[in-house]
Amino acid sequence: MLMGAMKHFLFPAAVCAAFLMAALPSPGQTAAAAGAKIPRMTDGKPNLSGLWQAIGTADWDIEDHSSAAGPFFQLGAIGAIPPGQGIVEGGEIPYLPAALEQKKKNEANRWKDDPEVKCYMPGVPRAAYLPYPFQIVQSQKDILLAYEYATTNRLINMGKPQEAATDTWMGTSNGHWEKDTLVVDVTGFNGMAWFDRAGDFASDGLHVVERYTPVDANTISYEATIEDKATFSKPWKISLFLYRNRDKSARLLEFKCVEYAEQLLYGDLVRKGSK
Amino acid sequence: MNHRIFLYSIGVAALMAAVPAVAETPAKSDATFSAPKTPWGDPDIQGTWTSDDTWGVPFERPKNFGTRATLTEDELKARAKTVQNSEEFVESGGTNHSPALAEIQAKEKGETAPAPQGRFGRGVDSAPVPGHWGEFARRASHQTSQVVDPPDGRLPPLTPEAQAALDAKMKIRREPIPASYTNWSYYDRCITRGVAGSILPVIYGNGLEIVQTPGYVAIRYEMVHDVRIIPTDGRPHISSNIKSYMGDAVGHWEGKTLVVETTNLLGGRMAVGVNGDGGAPYSDDMKLTERFTRVSANTVNYELIVDDPKTYTATWKVAFPITHEPGYQLFEYACHEGNMAMHNMLNAARLDDAKKAAEPAK
Repeated sequence: MLMGAMKHFLFPAAVCAAFLMAALPSPGQTAAAAGAKIPRMTDGKPNLSGLWQAIGTADWDIEDHSSAAGPFFQLGAIGAIPPGQGIVEGGEIPYLPAALEQKKKNEANRWKDDPEVKCYMPGVPRAAYLPYPFQIVQSQKDILLAYEYATTNRLINMGKPQEAATDTWMGTSNGHWEKDTLVVDVTGFNGMAWFDRAGDFASDGLHVVERYTPVDANTISYEATIEDKATFSKPWKISLFLYRNRDKSARLLEFKCVEYAEQLLYGDLVRKGSK
Repeated sequence: MNHRIFLYSIGVAALMAAVPAVAETPAKSDATFSAPKTPWGDPDIQGTWTSDDTWGVPFERPKNFGTRATLTEDELKARAKTVQNSEEFVESGGTNHSPALAEIQAKEKGETAPAPQGRFGRGVDSAPVPGHWGEFARRASHQTSQVVDPPDGRLPPLTPEAQAALDAKMKIRREPIPASYTNWSYYDRCITRGVAGSILPVIYGNGLEIVQTPGYVAIRYEMVHDVRIIPTDGRPHISSNIKSYMGDAVGHWEGKTLVVETTNLLGGRMAVGVNGDGGAPYSDDMKLTERFTRVSANTVNYELIVDDPKTYTATWKVAFPITHEPGYQLFEYACHEGNMAMHNMLNAARLDDAKKAAEPAK
């Protein structure tokens, strides 16, 4: 179909191209040119399938942060916290005063209380910028997001929106397309997940709207609007890029971290002298 | 026959005593059925499926059936009645038998608790289970066992090494006062149930969801939120130096059948049977071959061939249909996040230790 169209319009296109480009440069045209490079499903929707990962240190702290020592000197430089520029638009999360106090408490107890330390599910949007890849499996209907960390996964319902039946770590995801942007509305959170290792958090009233926009074949612009009246004075937004792992042999591997957290969680209840 | 599988099959007989519909199982290919295709031309096996319809079919075949793989009409009627009773039991919200509860109740009356019976073992399985947790078959299966090869429906003998590993494992599982979380199965610890354990029918959570995209088939399993992403583009397995609980799966289409080969499994831990703990621990060298064939709008025939010469003296095969169940929806199963049972069981074990230490020496 596309090839046929191209053949058909090759001559006029070639003739007109120089004139059009020079005379009428427009954002629409640029988008169309970029759009041609985006992999697409048979119905023309962008095909986001692939192995993706964020670059950066947002999982350490979604706000701007300096480098710092880690909790275990035995790990030397490996255990230190790398510096990073935040992903929060406007720089700061608009916490309500009591919530800010809670965030500070969380941060002070991060090595014990961060759900990631315990190998608990990461929640949304944290799952998007964990230091692990995730794979999108996009069907002609629903879209599966499979995260390497803790084998967490969530299905984005692309059909008739469904109300969250129960509160969960990863929430209930309803998606739709706005042109080439996959918009995912996520509700039904249990309020137990954090946003990062710095103790940023929300309540079970959290509402996240994610926007996945392919900007070229190997890059997705990711934005999330975060709303929670119990925690924040106004809605706020994060934005970052997700990059495709282009290594031919790249595969989503298994990181079942439960067994790396058990001694931390249950060690005091293990018979002394036993493993 | 291993402990848990044994308990499981006995329990099924005891608990499930009657009959909704009777299934066409093993599901036969409907000649008029044309398998749907995805827009990109692969056979379409997507959707939510469950192995619930095989609930009540023993894993290994009871010896009295010999090499007979299917029930007679009378036997099928009896099983259908069991299925009916099971459905009524679950729908009525009845409470299943619980050894833990029975022990507490007996103690209160100053009596000795009856020996645990049925499919309930130790750990989470021994807690009082509300009836609405339970799953049940919607259609009675014709099958006399889940294992279909060898022809007698029974597992081939274990190698001496595997038998020793099984004995060692069972000793740890049966320690009267567990020392550590490692006394429990990988399922009780909410790590995983493995490839086979994730689809074999159990008390609840038998749902799985298949999602396809060009070049991949993904399978999500409800219980313990496991997921496998299976490339179907002909790529080879990853390096054998990378091992994992769910292994490395590669697939291809043979006509309308998805064939999946899994290797790179972590040996010496999990087993192929129920919940990934039933039977002898398998080896690093195990190769699993699964076949998914859509035979009707509501049925995919599932087959699993287990090839692990270090553990089993012959290959063996499990087969049963997975079916659509109207209204079945996968929910997030935050197993580890909610694993208070592990904390509580260990806490109780340490209290037992302290009590024992305080007893005067005999």
